[in-house]
Amino acid sequence: MVKDKITLTNETGLHARPASELAKLAATFKSTIKLYVNGKTIDAKSILAIMSAGIKYNTEIEIECDGEDEEKALSEIKKGFENNFGE
Amino acid sequence: MLKGNGVSTGVGFGNVVILKKIERKIEKKTIQDEQKEQELERVHEALQEVINDTENQLKNITGTEADIMQAYLMIMQDPSLIAETENAIKNSNYNAEYAVEVGFNGVAQIFENMDDKYMASRSRDILDIKNRVLGKLLKEETIDLTKLNPNTIIVAEELTTSETAKLDFNNISGIVTELGGENSHTSIMARTHTIPAITKVKDATKILKNGDSIAINGTSGEIYINPTEEEKQKLLDLEKQLEEEKAELEKYKNQESVTEDGTKVKLYANIGLPSDAKVALNNTAEGVGLLRSEFLYMDSDTMPSEESQFTAYKEVAQIMEGREAIIRTLDIGGDKDLKYLEMEKEANPFLGYRAIRLCLDRPDIFKTQLRAILRASAFGKLAIMFPMISSIDELREAKGVLEECKKELDAEGIEYDKNIQVGIMIEIPSAALIADKLAKECDFFSIGTNDLIQYTVAVERGNEKISKLYTKYHPAVIQLIKKAIDGAHSANIICGMCGEAAGDPTFIPLLVGLGLDEFSMNSNSILRARKTINNLNAEECKKLSEEIMNMSSAKEVEKRLKEFINQK
Repeated sequence: MVKDKITLTNETGLHARPASELAKLAATFKSTIKLYVNGKTIDAKSILAIMSAGIKYNTEIEIECDGEDEEKALSEIKKGFENNFGE
Repeated sequence: MLKGNGVSTGVGFGNVVILKKIERKIEKKTIQDEQKEQELERVHEALQEVINDTENQLKNITGTEADIMQAYLMIMQDPSLIAETENAIKNSNYNAEYAVEVGFNGVAQIFENMDDKYMASRSRDILDIKNRVLGKLLKEETIDLTKLNPNTIIVAEELTTSETAKLDFNNISGIVTELGGENSHTSIMARTHTIPAITKVKDATKILKNGDSIAINGTSGEIYINPTEEEKQKLLDLEKQLEEEKAELEKYKNQESVTEDGTKVKLYANIGLPSDAKVALNNTAEGVGLLRSEFLYMDSDTMPSEESQFTAYKEVAQIMEGREAIIRTLDIGGDKDLKYLEMEKEANPFLGYRAIRLCLDRPDIFKTQLRAILRASAFGKLAIMFPMISSIDELREAKGVLEECKKELDAEGIEYDKNIQVGIMIEIPSAALIADKLAKECDFFSIGTNDLIQYTVAVERGNEKISKLYTKYHPAVIQLIKKAIDGAHSANIICGMCGEAAGDPTFIPLLVGLGLDEFSMNSNSILRARKTINNLNAEECKKLSEEIMNMSSAKEVEKRLKEFINQK
């Protein structure tokens, strides 16, 4: 299991489009991917879970990947957040 | 024979397709344990059908809209969407329909409770998916408006903007509605696409049946059910005559819009959807004098984003290829309502919270639109027009907001047309009376006769009982039009007109005489207007206008103008 923290830099938060990009990306990995935000645990493969968490700009998010491709998953997901999912 | 109001000329033969609002009843039932599997299966199948439909829709769109629909699709495919629904079947023994109702409402509630406005409005997406799933579960027949059989005549209580936007115009030979006036959205769309249309046909959706063979006369408003040979022949003769007139007008396609004695005017088109710009160009419009931006707002369940507006305005700018396109900022309120704005009911909506008044009160809405227009202005020649200006302060305030938007874009390094023209609608008598003052602080005027008449003679546009009093021939209306034109010219700016009157051959000579510079009208009126103008003499029109200015009664004015055009 690997973990890392990032801060959301999308000014409009994780709205439908970036949330769908994140869920799509997460779904490409075999690992389970969880996000810990404001005391909540979110399944990163579920767009609804991501959207309904209402993650705002400047929120700290902990990413946790667990599975055979956890290293790659963590680095790709971090990269996604850094690029604001193409926004 | 049925009769209504002919709002779009032409003859149409075809088969009736009735669009009815479906009244839905969700029954709450308790199911046996052994039925659970079957109910779960029904939910999954219904959802899968909705997913398949969405995937098919996705094939036909690109860009931002496609991205949004893709996200929508992912929501549908997300197992947590139906988790609550499944639990309602498994644990509460609810039937599939009721389980979907409560399960989806639960998910929507999560979004609704979020303090972020954007996220809160996503609850509508969830409810929309719910409605589609329920539609499949209840096997409600929905008509695919984008794929109609040839020679379809649409019959409805009234068509919504989003329905009209989807219509497969190639296969529609007529539209019949129970409600709607001459200037309703449906009527305007029908004229734009030259589809015969009749409104105000009482009980049309009850009397006519799906598949009925009918013939309609969009000029007289007559509808024939199973028309006799004689009736058919009469209509075919009329159709032939209309076609001959149309062919005759074709030759004005390559002409300039100029009077016999050399006074040039601009003939522009009024459009609703961006794609109407193509229809405008086919009819040789020299520009767009009025883009009603409302369609973007009325088609959507939520406030349209800057991005989606930008895409639409950019499309217009690009289709027009350097020709001017004037975008009117949001003109909502009055008789046009937006559900998601949750506007309060007013005793006098036409005198109330609408158009620029609403926009100045809601800078969030206003700035989103202005930023979208500015960004799109980098792709063509766009202009901005503020509706319902009644005072100079409103104009200054609106321009102030525009300046703020420009500064923001400058700071963000986003390109836009730095010389974008800013004009106002003259549609309130107070604005017409101070036109000379307003003209010093903007780049153009466009007279909106539909509202100007209603505010001048105090007659509500849609009120049938007093419709006789609603007339553009009223001398007070004409005086205000003259005030607006003279005011514009005193500051060397252009004065246009985008109300129905601008395309009326009877009224055009007077407007030419008063010195109107730009005439903006429904696309299919352009060639006829050009023909009218080509046959006019500006000096004669000037004399005519002087004569009219001395008249005191609307009847007298109307009689004289009709006489003048008939002599041509």
